[in-house]
Amino acid sequence: MSIFNLSGLLHRRAVLALGGTATVAALVGPAAASDLYGPSAAGAKSGGTLNMGLLVEPPGLDPFHQAADARIRLTVLIYQGLFYESPDGKATPLLAEGFDLSADRLVYTIRLRKGVKFHTGQAMTAKDVAYSYNHIRDPKNGSPGASDFGMITSIEAVDDATVKIAISAPNAALPMTLGNKYGGVVPAGYFDAPDAKTKLNQASVGTGPFKLAEFKPNSNVSLVRHAEYWEPGVPYLDRVNFIFVPNAAGLLVGLRTKRIDLATLNRPQDVSQVEGVAGLVVERKPSFNQKAIDLGSELKPLDDERVRRAIALAVDKDEIMRASIGGFGKVIGTMVAGMQESWGAPLDRLANQKVDIAAAKKLLADAGHPDGFELNLTTIIGYDWMDPAAVTLREQLAKIGIKLSIQRVELGVWVKNFQSKQMGFTFNDWATVPDPNLLFYRQFHKSPEGADFRNWKNDAASTLLDEGRAESDPAKRREIYTRYQQAMAESVPTIMLFSADHIVVRNEKVHNYEQHPTGWYYGLARAWLA
Amino acid sequence: MGAYLAKRLAASLVTAILASIVVFLLVRSVPGDVVGQMLGQSSDPVAAKALREFFGLDQPAWRQYLGWLSHVATADFGTSWSRGQPVLGMIGTAVGVTLELALATLAIATLVGVPLGVVAGIYEGRLLDRVIQTFNLLGLAAPVFWIGLMLLVGVSTALEWSPPLMYVAPTESLGENISIMALPVLSLALLQAAAYSQFVRQSVVSAFGQDYVRTAIAKGVPMRTVFFKHLLRNIAIPLITFMGLILIQILGGAVIIESLFALPGLGRLLLSSIETRDYPVLQAGLLVVVVIAMLVNLIVDLCYRVIDPRVRLS
Repeated sequence: MSIFNLSGLLHRRAVLALGGTATVAALVGPAAASDLYGPSAAGAKSGGTLNMGLLVEPPGLDPFHQAADARIRLTVLIYQGLFYESPDGKATPLLAEGFDLSADRLVYTIRLRKGVKFHTGQAMTAKDVAYSYNHIRDPKNGSPGASDFGMITSIEAVDDATVKIAISAPNAALPMTLGNKYGGVVPAGYFDAPDAKTKLNQASVGTGPFKLAEFKPNSNVSLVRHAEYWEPGVPYLDRVNFIFVPNAAGLLVGLRTKRIDLATLNRPQDVSQVEGVAGLVVERKPSFNQKAIDLGSELKPLDDERVRRAIALAVDKDEIMRASIGGFGKVIGTMVAGMQESWGAPLDRLANQKVDIAAAKKLLADAGHPDGFELNLTTIIGYDWMDPAAVTLREQLAKIGIKLSIQRVELGVWVKNFQSKQMGFTFNDWATVPDPNLLFYRQFHKSPEGADFRNWKNDAASTLLDEGRAESDPAKRREIYTRYQQAMAESVPTIMLFSADHIVVRNEKVHNYEQHPTGWYYGLARAWLA
Repeated sequence: MGAYLAKRLAASLVTAILASIVVFLLVRSVPGDVVGQMLGQSSDPVAAKALREFFGLDQPAWRQYLGWLSHVATADFGTSWSRGQPVLGMIGTAVGVTLELALATLAIATLVGVPLGVVAGIYEGRLLDRVIQTFNLLGLAAPVFWIGLMLLVGVSTALEWSPPLMYVAPTESLGENISIMALPVLSLALLQAAAYSQFVRQSVVSAFGQDYVRTAIAKGVPMRTVFFKHLLRNIAIPLITFMGLILIQILGGAVIIESLFALPGLGRLLLSSIETRDYPVLQAGLLVVVVIAMLVNLIVDLCYRVIDPRVRLS
């Protein structure tokens, strides 16, 4: 579980040991089958249909232009990128087989896996890879991944089995960026057809272990085994039906009556309704998500760092977690729970983590608010945890004189405020892939390099983010991100509260399903039915 | 009759166009758009601009509306922005589910509610009337979602069975379809049967006080004839009106039951389209609701004429 095993990152000392030549030897070999998607399935049986219940329906299945997490959870089984986001923080080769990195760390020469076929039956080549990533990185094509790919200056096919990617500055997170969140490799020229975007909802053109069989809005998405998948024998399931059950009661009843074989619970505390039911197994898994309070500096008096620190000192994270998800999670400092071991700053090195009402009051008084002030908290309708959390937070802030009013808004309204950097004081709920650059840079780096949604405008922190991105020595990189997290904890643009555990409920006939910390359903590629 | 129909259809067309303008303005007045939803938190301004151009959202509202209307005039409702499927097909499927739900509910509610109301009316003030009135009161007071939830949890606990979660059309498998629709229909029908029963009871009680009924009874006409020939025919018109209203009410309000029982009906489709700001689906779906409501009203009006030839359609 150590970052020092990061196979996708080049260790500077390794370059020197290899003589510092213009091109270093490949450091990454083909991934063993067990590295991908979950543990190898000993004694797995092939065949059968698995019914998975989903509370949230994906708004669409287009991996290139749809950022919703509900979409990503499914499409990672259909489309594949060059690397896989291993739970321990490795960028493990997926459609790549390995890569060489130039001495100046600006050019990645990536060797591609052989024998990969699209769902259309045609063989994948380097041209397809270059085409797909060029499509994502050109903002004119409207991909939400475009900003993550901003550092890439060119992608070209060297030969059928090799692509060369040039970047503008060293970036240790590049392999992880070439993962499965956005896009994936599709046949070259796919988007030439005017209706290509919409067609992605009707027929899949990826390389993943499953291909799309049908998408019936408000009913189900069904995937079937990709018979020509490059890993022999995988996947084990013939078919997966993702059934949309838009309320928790229906989902729980479906689990109890075995209409649903597998589900993750949005409200972890609902687990009490299925625990002890014969034939059901409940598992609790760590996650990369975070429930947070964001403090937009555009909203006075949150522009005053003393006020933000006072709020942080008044917040009892554990109390909020117990009130909102019944304690089925982990209180965090400045890193999501699933990445604390690999990238988190030690909690004792972070400021403003323990409740100190006296210190908070003094800070408020120093900032000119001895009697507190009125503040509006925005929460999102449909995010169940936010309602009890808001009430608990109101009680906590009242202790330092802040009178909190709560405004519940619909998700579309909230996203609009967020994108226009008018988020004010709000709860947030988001997840990451396991790399600190991808977690922090766009969210917190000052403009124009980052989006700085919270109007933090912190030069020192931005410099650290630049250094962390460029550094390839894992130990040094971790130290830089520790210092960054200390700056964040000190200045409080956000208060990361807790990571909710993934609660997986499965029928006992479902074997070898491993829930990925991102919440994505990679594990279905290795699951099998008894 | 022909002229009347033509006149009504022409008026309906005008109403539909006006409704489409209101719907168009209404859906765009909600903050945020499909691009914001698609790009999420980390949107790139250039990407957002590109997508807005792709969907035509960079055009003035009037041009967007006229463009949409001209396509609708040729029965082209376009493609769903988020689901990437033809809008007409999506709405057709969803309307089919909701209509099945509504008509089945209407049939059961009528079969249960009308006899109960008649019996209660005939036995006004007696024990049977009080029992039926208690049922009516409970049915009207209990929220639909509560009835649905209780049925779902109760049946699944008692029988360790719950309805299949993937909808199957009656044309594919009638048995499977019935097992899917039974509980949702029952949930809605309980309320509607109570409403029916209450309405019919009032009508019967009121009719019994009318001169023509008293006269018929005084003349020694058998009660069965009084009831079927005189009374029922006279309460038929308000009853048909009531049926029409209930049908529209079910169509508009089925979203809760559709969500509870995971039915892919129109209510759920509209709700999810609001969440994703899928304007083509929203506009077409709401227009369909308006058109269905107008058609139901038209059919109700035509029924008046069939039931009572004295009614003049003008």
